[in-house]
Amino acid sequence: MSKNEPITQINAMAQAPEEQPKQKSRRGVEWFAENGIFVFTAVLILSAAIFVDGFASLQNITDVFHRAAPIGIVAVGMTFVVISGNYLDLSVVAQVATAAVIMIAVSNEYGYFAAVLAAMLAALIYAIVNGVAVGYFKANAVIVTLSTTYVGLGLLRLLSGGSIFFGPPDGALAQFGAGKLGPVPYSALVLVAMTLILAFVLNRTNFGFTVRSFGINERATRLGGTNTGLVIIGAFLVTSLSAMIAGFVLAAFSNTAVSAMSTGYDFQALAAIIVGGTSVFGGKGSVLRTLLGVIFVSVLSNVLVLLNIGFGYQQMALGVLIALAVTVDALARRAGKK
Amino acid sequence: MAAVVEAKNITKAFGGVKAVDDVTVSVEAGEIHAVVGENGAGKSTLMRILSGIEFPDSGQVMVEGKEIENSAKDSIDAGISLVHQELSLVPEMTVAENIYLGGFPTSAGFTKRKEMKKFAQETLDEIGVQVDIDERISRLSVALRQFVEIARAIARKPKVLILDEPTASLTPAETDYLLSMLERLAKQGLAIIYISHRIPEVFRLCHNVTILRDGKLVYVSEIKKTTPQEVINQMVGRELKLDLESRRDAKPGDVVLSAVGIKAPGVNDVDLEVRAGEIVGLGGLVGAGRTELIRAIIGADNKTAGNVHITVDGKRQQITSYMSAMRNGVAYVPEERRVDGLAMTMSVTDNVYLPNRKDLAASGVINPAKAAKVAKELADRVGLRPPEIKREAGQYSGGNQQKIVIAKWLHKRPSFVVLDEPTRGVDVGAKAEIHRLVKELADQGTAVLVVSSDLPELLELSDVIHVVRDGKIMGTLDGAKADEKQVMGLAAGEKLVEA
Repeated sequence: MSKNEPITQINAMAQAPEEQPKQKSRRGVEWFAENGIFVFTAVLILSAAIFVDGFASLQNITDVFHRAAPIGIVAVGMTFVVISGNYLDLSVVAQVATAAVIMIAVSNEYGYFAAVLAAMLAALIYAIVNGVAVGYFKANAVIVTLSTTYVGLGLLRLLSGGSIFFGPPDGALAQFGAGKLGPVPYSALVLVAMTLILAFVLNRTNFGFTVRSFGINERATRLGGTNTGLVIIGAFLVTSLSAMIAGFVLAAFSNTAVSAMSTGYDFQALAAIIVGGTSVFGGKGSVLRTLLGVIFVSVLSNVLVLLNIGFGYQQMALGVLIALAVTVDALARRAGKK
Repeated sequence: MAAVVEAKNITKAFGGVKAVDDVTVSVEAGEIHAVVGENGAGKSTLMRILSGIEFPDSGQVMVEGKEIENSAKDSIDAGISLVHQELSLVPEMTVAENIYLGGFPTSAGFTKRKEMKKFAQETLDEIGVQVDIDERISRLSVALRQFVEIARAIARKPKVLILDEPTASLTPAETDYLLSMLERLAKQGLAIIYISHRIPEVFRLCHNVTILRDGKLVYVSEIKKTTPQEVINQMVGRELKLDLESRRDAKPGDVVLSAVGIKAPGVNDVDLEVRAGEIVGLGGLVGAGRTELIRAIIGADNKTAGNVHITVDGKRQQITSYMSAMRNGVAYVPEERRVDGLAMTMSVTDNVYLPNRKDLAASGVINPAKAAKVAKELADRVGLRPPEIKREAGQYSGGNQQKIVIAKWLHKRPSFVVLDEPTRGVDVGAKAEIHRLVKELADQGTAVLVVSSDLPELLELSDVIHVVRDGKIMGTLDGAKADEKQVMGLAAGEKLVEA
C-alpha cells in the first residue's frame, strides 16, 4: 500500500458527535444494593418502636449503642481493607483481645501510657505483617489474616496463661467504661468520633483516595505513581488501630480482659460493612454506610433479644443476612457491568 | 441457496449509544462475506451477538432457518464459531489441550489424553498447520497462536466461522497462507464471515461485502460489482486523502531520553534516544516487543539489563523504577486503557486527580474545589465531550476515555511522554484531536515516543521511525520520507511462515 492509496486519514478534523450522557440504567438490584440499607434500617427501627415492648426506651437505645461500640469501631476501620478490594481482616479477633489484655495487664503494672504504647506496637506489627503479605506479596487476605489470627491468639494465650485480668475498680478505665455524657455512653461517642475521623481520611485525604482507587483499578493506581504496597499496609494499619481502640473500649466495659473475649468480631464487623452497602469487590462503599450497617445489625439483635428469641436463632439470622447482602452485592455488580 | 446464518434487524445499545442499529446480514454455505468498517463501526459487537456473547436489544439470529437463543452455548451448538480478535488461548496449556477446549471428546466427563492428542492432530492436519501439539502456547509465535486459535474454532465442526481481524499480527506470507486456507474451507461448504479493515485482503478473498458505519448498515455489494475506492468511501462516509499537510516542522532540541542496551523479556538489546520537541515512532507488528520495550524503559516492568537517563533542564537523572520515572516528568499513556489507564467507575475528576494528587494537595488533605478546577481545565484542553467531569470515566466512549488518560498527564507538564497505540478503538473525530494534542506537546518541547500499528498515524506523527521486530530495532527511517511499504517490509522481515 502506498501513500497514494489512502485508507483511514481524514483531511478535515471531524467534530465528534456530542455524546448523550448515558443514563446509567439503574436496575432494581443496583438501586437495592445502594439504598436498601436506608429503607431497611428505617423500617426495622419504626416497626421495633411500634411492635416490640421495651425497644423505644432511652435506656434500651443507649444500651444498644453501648454494646454496638466495640464491633462498630472495628467495622468502620475494617471498611478500609474491604474498600481496597482485599475482602477483610479476620485477625481483628486476635487484635481486639490483644489490645484489651495489654490495656489491663500492662496498665496494672506500668500505667496507662505504657499500656497504650505496647498496644500500639502490637497493632503496628499486625498491620505490617498483614499488609506486607497482602500488599507486596499479593497473598490472599483471607488466608493471611486467618493465619495471623491463629498465631496472635496462640501467642496471647501463652503470654497471658489463659487467665482473666482485672483492672482496679476505681481506675480510669473502669470510670470510662461506665461514663456517660448526658444520656450518651462514652463508648458510643468514641464510635461516632472514629466514624467521622475515618470518613474524613477515606474521602478527603490522598491516602484515602488511593485506597479507593486501588479497590477499583490496582494497575491504573500504580501507574498513577502510587506505592500500592504502602497503600495496603496503610489500610491494614487503619484497621489495626481501630481494633486496638475497640479493645480498649471492650476492656473498659467490664474492667476485665481475656483472650477469648472478642470471638465473632470478624464476622460481625464484616456483616455491618456489607449490609451497609460497601462492596466486597472493592472501590465502592463508605465509612458512614458501615455505621449504618452497625446500627442495623445491632438493632436487629436487640429486637431478637427483646422478643426472647434464642442465641442460636440470632446467629442464624446474622448468617442469612450476610449471605443475602453479598448476593445482592454480586448481582448489582453484574447489573452494573452490562 | 438458502442462508446458513442470518442476523435479522439486530439492534444493540450501550447506554445511550447504538453500537449496532437495525443491521441485517445473511451468509450462505461456501460464501466468504466481508464485514468492514472503521474502528467502532459496530463490527465486533455484531459478531459478539452472532456468537451469543452479547444479547441484542432487538432482532434475531437464525441458523438454517431456526432462531437460536442468545447464549454462547446455543450459538456453538447451532454451529457458529468465533475466532476472537484478542487471542483467547490458555498460554500455560499445550496446543492439544487448547484445541481440545474447543472440541471436547470426553467419555463421561473424563479426559482421554490419547484421544485428545489424536483429535488435535487431526484438526491441525485438516487446516494444514504444522505445530508440535505438546508445545505450550506461551512458547509459540503470535502467528502460530493465531493458527491454533483457528484450529480450535474449526475443531467444533462449525457451519459458520467468524474471524475478527485475523491478519492483524501476521506477516504478508502468513497472511497469504491464512487466506488460501480460508478459501479451501469455504469450498468445502463452510460459511465464513470475515471482519477486516484491510481492503486488499477483502477484495482478494471475499464474495460479498457489508459495510457498517456508526452502527448502521450503509452498503452491501458483491465484491465483483464494487471497487476499493467505493468501499473506503462508504466506510468513512466522505472522500479521503492522506493528510500530509498536517505534518509539523520538527525542531528537535537536546536529548531528553537516552536508553542504552535495554534488555527485558521480549526486548533484545535496544538503544533509543528521544529529543526535546521530537516525536519518535515505534512501528512493527503486534507482538514485536514494542510495548515491552517502552514499559522496560519507563520502569513499568523490570528490565534485565540497560540504563535509562532522562535529562531535564540540563540535569541528567537515572531512571531505576517507575516512581523515579514519574518524578522526572515521564508520562505514560498505556495500550490497555481500561486495565492500565482508567478507574472506570471513578469520575473524570478523580481519574485526573490520581497522578497529580501530590501536587494538588501537598498536605495530603484533598481540596475538592481545586481538583475539580484542574480537571475542568484539562477536560477543556483535550476536548472532552461532553466536558462533565463528575461523570464516571466508564460512561464515555473509547475516544473520550483516551482523552481522559492523556489529560491526566498534562497538568504536570511532562518532559517525556510515551503513548502506546494512542488511537486504537477510537473514532475518527477523537483520533484527529488526539493527533493534534500529541503534535502540540512536541511543539511545546516535550519529547514524545509513540507506539502505533496504524501506519498512516505513524507516518503522520513521527519525525523518526524505528521499526521493531523480535525485540530489536530492525531499521530507522526518516518520518518525513518513509512510506508504508518500507515500514511494513522492515516489520515483516524476510521470515517465512512457520506453518
